[in-house]
Amino acid sequence: MIDLWLALPAWAQDLAILLALTIVPAIMALLVLRGYAPGALIRAVLRRFGWTNAAFVALIAVSVGLGVGLIAQERGLRQGTAQAADKFDLIVAAPGSEMTMMLASVFLQPSNVALIDGPTYAEIATHPQVRIAAPLAFGDSWEDAPVVGTTGEFARHLSDDRIEGRTWQAWDEAVAGAFVPLAVGDRFLPAHGLGDAAEEGVHADEATIVGRMAPTGTPWDRAILVPVEFVWVTHGLYGGMPPEPSEIGPPFDPERFPGTPAVIVRADELWANYALRSEFTREAETMAFFPGAVLAGLYRVMGDVRQAMSIMALVTQGLVAASVLLGLVILMRLFRRQVALLRALGAPGRFVLAVIWSYGAALIAAGAVMGLGVGWVAAELLSRIVTARTDILVVARLGWPELHLVAGFLCAATVLLIVPAFTVLRQPVVKGLRA
Amino acid sequence: MTLPLAVRDLRVASAGGRALLDVPALDLPAGALVGVRGPSGAGKTTLLHALAGLLEADGTVRWGETELLALGAEGRAAFRARSLGLVFQDFLLFEELGALENASVAAMFAAPVARQAIRDRAADGLRGLGIDPDDARPVSSHSGGERQRIAVARALAGGAGLLLADEPTASLHRDAADRLVDDLIRLVRETGATLIAVSHDETLIARMDRVLTIADGRIEGGATHEAAA
Repeated sequence: MIDLWLALPAWAQDLAILLALTIVPAIMALLVLRGYAPGALIRAVLRRFGWTNAAFVALIAVSVGLGVGLIAQERGLRQGTAQAADKFDLIVAAPGSEMTMMLASVFLQPSNVALIDGPTYAEIATHPQVRIAAPLAFGDSWEDAPVVGTTGEFARHLSDDRIEGRTWQAWDEAVAGAFVPLAVGDRFLPAHGLGDAAEEGVHADEATIVGRMAPTGTPWDRAILVPVEFVWVTHGLYGGMPPEPSEIGPPFDPERFPGTPAVIVRADELWANYALRSEFTREAETMAFFPGAVLAGLYRVMGDVRQAMSIMALVTQGLVAASVLLGLVILMRLFRRQVALLRALGAPGRFVLAVIWSYGAALIAAGAVMGLGVGWVAAELLSRIVTARTDILVVARLGWPELHLVAGFLCAATVLLIVPAFTVLRQPVVKGLRA
Repeated sequence: MTLPLAVRDLRVASAGGRALLDVPALDLPAGALVGVRGPSGAGKTTLLHALAGLLEADGTVRWGETELLALGAEGRAAFRARSLGLVFQDFLLFEELGALENASVAAMFAAPVARQAIRDRAADGLRGLGIDPDDARPVSSHSGGERQRIAVARALAGGAGLLLADEPTASLHRDAADRLVDDLIRLVRETGATLIAVSHDETLIARMDRVLTIADGRIEGGATHEAAA
């Protein structure tokens, strides 16, 4: 049985769980409603306290929706950050914090890090298994856009070759990220530093935008890519050479190479990444790491938080279910008289149960379904906010976990609903008639 | 089908143990029209509820062969659905439903084969009482007299031979009350049903075959008088 279950594809397991969770309310409905036709009466009760019912449904929808939105958002964020690191197979940097380095290179979060020197870079770049070895030069900006020096090859790699216009052919040409407010042909003067610390007027060299990358869903969409030589020249780092280099791109002269905080490495083959990582993991010289692995480590740490969040979401849904049932008990007092009347007219207990249960289940089901909608909207809004704030493209879609959460809520609430329904049924008829 | 009533040692006590009703013996033939009168709080409605099996009581309430108090809640409900119609002072209709839906409410929980018969009887009953069964308006828009007539149609739609009415005219103005009394008596006579009506309304009481007076939970006398009609 367990083997069979494990042999099923993931979607089939998900579907089976969803079906199991939804079939329970369906069976309940069948059991209480079998042989009766209480439709008109249920509709009458729903209409009778229309506003109260609507408020109740809205309350359920909002509480279910928040739970749904949060877990969808959390998954979207995780996928978005993983996606952002996708182009960064292996990073070689001076020994230090992998996390800091990853944040600096993948997510363009500025930080002060040590540099890799020219000979080391040359060693990486000329390694037979290395296809791309892109140096990165951070520190300048234009308005809010970081200006990052690298190679044309890396610009093409990052954008999957989807560049409107072309990559640079001269040292003072640049490629803009998708969301940089500069058009092809515009010229810009980088400021020294980033953000509040940026100093205008330090640099004198302007560059021309010659290309624009398609959106990558990473913070690089807001960056301007320039030849690494441009950064070196404007900082007076490319010593001993004419102020305007005629040839750009690798190979770089190891002697004049001013150093780079990180080298983004792409190997010929996937397996070679592991070999390269161990090869360039050298004490006191270089460290090599997979950003994906660092992120995975981060998720592992946050995994506990996620677990806590999931449990909180579950507990919250449980509390929502409990308050919904409590609310229904109170709401049901409103039609104690109708219930007593039905009993006086000779309605069987199960019929009364069918009316009350169907009424409550209708509210819960409507709230749960609307909750999916609220959750979708909440996830969408949160994604937009997170995307706008971090430039990491976060797409939060409703998936199986959300459907399971809502179906689980529906299942638990409709099953437990039988308890308040019974308490209403058990009330003395004569008292109810006089209510 | 109407049934004779035999009550023995019927006692109903309040939650505090005070005797609300004490009826050592009461026998009514099938098809009798019985008025119950007495001061407020004397136990008239309690008697009606006890006869309908709506409350817990000691003793026996036998309708034909059915010993009502020996049955559980479900058995009593089934008996009411089969044999007993109730009419209340304040109508107790489902306000959002139409006249026919209210009159045939029992069809919702009846066996599927019996549903159409209930609806047909409800529609006939409504027509006989001057109410259009095809009028889909919710009953909340009907007058008091119309609503009580819908309630009477509901009480008879199940084919019940026993009709228990609790102050059926008390919420109606005189003209509507008179019309209801006429309709009620006519229908009961036509169908041969038993009617037990608790009422302060002398117009209704005067039309009964027999009148019971209740005071302090006890039936006084048991005077029988011929129907005025």
